[in-house]
Amino acid sequence: MAAPARRRRRRAPPFARILLLGFFLVFVFVPLYWMFNTSIKPSDDYLAIPPVWFPDAPTLVHYQAALFTYRGLEGLINSLIISLSATVLSALLGTLMAYSLARFNTGGQHLSFWVLSQRFLPPIGIVLPVFLIYRNLGLYDTHLGMIFAYTVFTLPVSVWMMFAYFRQMPRSMEEAALVDGCTRWQAFLRVAVPLAAPGIVAAAVFAFIACWTEFFFALILTSQNAFTLPTVFRAFIGFQGAQYGEAAALAMVSLVPSIALGVLAQRHLVRGLTLGAVRG
Amino acid sequence: MTDTPIAPLRAAGAPPRLSALAAWSDRNFKWLMVAPAVALILALSVYPLLFSLVVSFINYDFLIPGHAFVGFDNFERVIADPVARWSLVLTVFLSGTSVAIEFVLGLFVALAMVRSFRGRGLIMSILIVPLFISPVIVGQAWTLLLQRPFGPTNYILSQLLGHEVTISWLTESPWLYISLIVADVWQWTPFMFVILLAGLTAIPPNLYEAAELDGVGAWQAFRAITLPHLGPMMLLALTFRLLDAIRLFDTIFIMTGGGPGTQTYTASYYLYTVGFTQFHLSQATAGSWLFLIVTALVVVALVRRLLRVEPV
Amino acid sequence: MAQVRIAGLSKHYGSFEAVRGIDLDIPDGEFTVLVGPSGCGKSTLLRTIAGLEEASDGTIEIGGEIVNDLRPRDRDVAMVFQDYALYPHMTVARNIGFGLRARKMPRAEVAARVDEAARMLGITRLLDRYPRQLSGGQRQRVAIGRAIVRSPRVFLFDEPLSNLDAQLRDEMRSEIKRLHQEIATTMIYVTHDQIEAMTLADRIVLMRDGLIEQQGSPLELFERPVSTFVAGFLGSPRMSIMPGTLARTGAGPVIRLGETLLPLPRAPAGDERPVLLGLRPEHLTRAQGPAPAEGSCRVEAVIELIQPTGSRSYATFRLAGEPVMAELQAHDVSRPGERMEIDVNMARASIFDAGTERAI
Repeated sequence: MAAPARRRRRRAPPFARILLLGFFLVFVFVPLYWMFNTSIKPSDDYLAIPPVWFPDAPTLVHYQAALFTYRGLEGLINSLIISLSATVLSALLGTLMAYSLARFNTGGQHLSFWVLSQRFLPPIGIVLPVFLIYRNLGLYDTHLGMIFAYTVFTLPVSVWMMFAYFRQMPRSMEEAALVDGCTRWQAFLRVAVPLAAPGIVAAAVFAFIACWTEFFFALILTSQNAFTLPTVFRAFIGFQGAQYGEAAALAMVSLVPSIALGVLAQRHLVRGLTLGAVRG
Repeated sequence: MTDTPIAPLRAAGAPPRLSALAAWSDRNFKWLMVAPAVALILALSVYPLLFSLVVSFINYDFLIPGHAFVGFDNFERVIADPVARWSLVLTVFLSGTSVAIEFVLGLFVALAMVRSFRGRGLIMSILIVPLFISPVIVGQAWTLLLQRPFGPTNYILSQLLGHEVTISWLTESPWLYISLIVADVWQWTPFMFVILLAGLTAIPPNLYEAAELDGVGAWQAFRAITLPHLGPMMLLALTFRLLDAIRLFDTIFIMTGGGPGTQTYTASYYLYTVGFTQFHLSQATAGSWLFLIVTALVVVALVRRLLRVEPV
Repeated sequence: MAQVRIAGLSKHYGSFEAVRGIDLDIPDGEFTVLVGPSGCGKSTLLRTIAGLEEASDGTIEIGGEIVNDLRPRDRDVAMVFQDYALYPHMTVARNIGFGLRARKMPRAEVAARVDEAARMLGITRLLDRYPRQLSGGQRQRVAIGRAIVRSPRVFLFDEPLSNLDAQLRDEMRSEIKRLHQEIATTMIYVTHDQIEAMTLADRIVLMRDGLIEQQGSPLELFERPVSTFVAGFLGSPRMSIMPGTLARTGAGPVIRLGETLLPLPRAPAGDERPVLLGLRPEHLTRAQGPAPAEGSCRVEAVIELIQPTGSRSYATFRLAGEPVMAELQAHDVSRPGERMEIDVNMARASIFDAGTERAI
């Protein structure tokens, strides 16, 4: 009996896949590479035609200028302080709330919905009044003010990621702790939290990235004192060509930590992107 | 087990009594746990919203003295402003187009990545990189690529197409819209891709195996198995991305500054200019409330549906 | 004293009533098994005794004190869970000693108790391991160790053997029984497995839809079931239950099944009426001797099905159209289609009213 003819494959043949993925990889790569290239390119090469793909004499001059002349380093430190603090606060408050929601269904559907919907509030609606309120309270352009703002900003995602995490953790260990001699707080701290540690770390990573890359709030709520790294890019707008390298250098500096963290936490990415609605 | 009695194991008795405070906090445990987060949200979200509602009904302008009540004046001014209307149209157009393209591309990439192959992990790590970059930097990166005379885009295109390309990508219509969309697609296609991939991998493979045994073709299998299973996930991805896309601000700010003129004013950017460059704060808050209401309607409809559907 | 007394206990979730007015009196040191089908409320009852659920109504007394308002930690009970509920981030030793440390016991005493409990359960060499490194049976021993180390007033078991495979289950069952003999503490054990119930219990409490259907010693429930539900739940293979009529003839009371008349040795109370006749396989044996024994009657049977189990064989035949299982010797070489004479032990038969399904 002759062998049956080869069936049509279920998916497109590998050639199409290679083409598509190849195109995408190039697509992702090119802007990043060009930015890296620009950051080490001496200014003389800027307007060269054909474009210089890798400079003969790479330089770190732009990094220096970006960090010091344009106060990029200050922005970086501010970003670090604010993002870390907000992350810790967000993870803490978020985990507490998520545990209560997951184990006790506190506040029912209404509370969960209210917290979830915060994620989708257009920032413009919040930032205007907060700007006015902060000016009145003296929190404008302060680290503390930004920390509070960013905590609220990242809270919904933290809550929802941890909520999903706690939901799929069996209750029996906490119940065993209760029967063994713990109060609810002790059961939470000694049993639930250690078990949820990976989830908490993941939520913290995503909160940090969100704070690190945020621009709008920082633009409006900071000035010379508590300005964050993304806002430094304001200095490079409307230029006539002198600061390409500095802009690129600063971008590179900002990119590296958030990308590194994101790639490390990618196992939890789907949960973070969908507010825990989907298990990655 | 042995036969010796458990002489050393006397009753351990009760644990130490709880103080009044400890007992109270144990009884009210669940409320105490949500209290801090709720308080913060009330203070920095609910209160500002209510405050801004009040502001939109009075005259709050850095340039005009007094805080007189002006009724719906501010709202009317916003609605009457042609730039406001334009910004709404542009927002819908830009976000709709971007999200649609991201969805289709994301789906293709997800389909390409479903099967395991060598290097898949590495490619995955590279493809998700744009998600972790500040939108400002994304805008900056594309500005560097596109801005004449510095960016290599025109040069590359000239080489590819054979004739000289002198498009000013950030100031010439319609190319500048394309630039904005490309930047958005670059950053957010991975979002779609990641979610759709998760949805695809959740489909049990034996459904496809059964289909293959039954002699069902690839396209039919896609329609009958893939699409129905992916439905909820697609809705989720589209909802989330759309709700984010309509807030478009950062890339506009860096790439075009809203210009030339007001050609690239999205809703958020428009409100920003009104509030922070013109300082017509009450007008801006009125406008942002209008924007909020529009968003809220979409959020309530879609998010409520999502909450019910997801078996979290 | 650690007797457990439950009065009028109910628990409902919204409109769903999981437990509906239970009264239960468990003397100190008794091994009580709560058994029943899924959803009968046995686990809910156990969890309410533990304090993990709050009773909607009624009282729970442990050792004479009402514990309704006490937190689980203050009730001096220990619980063994179906999924073991060991703390994954702690070693076996720390798992077992967890409750003791929560009571601020000095470290030396904790260590001594942990060692003793481990020795009793044969897990001393596992003390430094983590739960993920243990097999199911070992984990369950650790869970039991965590319970006994505190010497609580009452032990609660929530289907502890359900996650184990059959062989391990038999082993652990014996160990639990032996444990009870050694430490003689009140134990309340929940299971859906009637074999566990029969072998472990001093008293079985069979529950159904939130109520107690019958309670008593295992043999009591087995030999004198109070309803067809109880009769069908205990015993494997199941009791055969056939519809018939209770009639009084000149020769005495009989059960009429279609054409067949089965004489009853004793007259049950009440008039003639439709009934359900319950016969266990062991009550139907191959006819021995010229005449049936006192209280038995002889019928003719055509064997339809033979199911050997090694120690005995079960033969299915029809009695007035209803399938009935008889117990035969293992080496009894009968084949389907064969005719056989069966002695029916009517003295041990159960008779239930056809309407109420309760024993007459």
